[in-house]
Amino acid sequence: MIATAVALPPFWSLVEAHGDELLVHARKLAGEQHAEDVLQEAFLRALRAYPRLRHARHLRAWLYRITTTTAFDLHRSRKREIVTGEPPVVPVEDDHDDGGFEALIAPLPEAARTALILRFVEDLDYEAIGAALNCSPVAARQRVSTAVRSLRERLTS
Amino acid sequence: MTPLSEKFLDSLASAAVREGLADAVFTRLSSPLGRLLVVQGAEGIVRIGFEEEPEDRLLADVASSLGPRIVASDGETRTARDALSAYLEGDSESLALPVDLRLARAPFRREVLETLHREVGRGATISYGALATRSGHPRAARAVGTACARNPVPLVVPCHRVLPSSGGVGQYGGGVARKVALLELEGALRSPR
Repeated sequence: MIATAVALPPFWSLVEAHGDELLVHARKLAGEQHAEDVLQEAFLRALRAYPRLRHARHLRAWLYRITTTTAFDLHRSRKREIVTGEPPVVPVEDDHDDGGFEALIAPLPEAARTALILRFVEDLDYEAIGAALNCSPVAARQRVSTAVRSLRERLTS
Repeated sequence: MTPLSEKFLDSLASAAVREGLADAVFTRLSSPLGRLLVVQGAEGIVRIGFEEEPEDRLLADVASSLGPRIVASDGETRTARDALSAYLEGDSESLALPVDLRLARAPFRREVLETLHREVGRGATISYGALATRSGHPRAARAVGTACARNPVPLVVPCHRVLPSSGGVGQYGGGVARKVALLELEGALRSPR
């Protein structure tokens, strides 16, 4: 592999720094039973896209988005497998390298969408999300967590 | 928050290697010389670091040349781990591992290190001047010293076998104590007792 123009950190440093919290996120979306499968597939997708990234900012948020979209894709392909008995289809990745995160959250209520975007696209911490939404950091954390729950409901519905 | 299990991490790294998604694989290895960081590319070992070297800087340096998709796996580096352990613990007399010297960067340094790797075996030593001559650069003894000091793959490319002609063991990138220990292990230097 040729070295990329952008100085991206060695991929494993992201796995070691954020893997634990991403597993928690995967559990919230996909449940204990599927969390590790989701996370492994998410990291592999991230690896496929990694050399194409145009900057090295907000990589943590980027991994959250990929984990989220992967949870949905794997769930869909599991469902398809149950219904049709056919092997799961590996979804085609889109240009944003995060599997279409924004399209995925588009049907959610605006408040949920905003919270998810501030957290997983803008990569803001709860302090900054609180400032943006005019609420306390604790309330900001709750809004994000409520939004993740509604994502999960959408996934299982 | 429960940490990711070793099993998960190893399975992820193996899947990455299997799918051709890893530019390099690294492993941390405990040895009689302290903890080693060993990095392997598709063609061989590209880098070995002693524990004093900051891991993030070392891996960033590998990334700048091989690519950023670097994963950790003991399983995928099993051959190198076993060979290094056996050698350093005195259970094996050969350390025949493929190396990839692209991190030596300058062609001159690469040539010197390739000559050293090919020609100076266990138990033997060579002077900086003689290595310069053998690499086809008879006047470059000093530059040979630099090439050895910046050897990206110590131990396997045996820069510890290069000694000053004035006597003594000279310098070593991993510290003189390690150089002495290696030369004693190989029987090139009698242990003081």
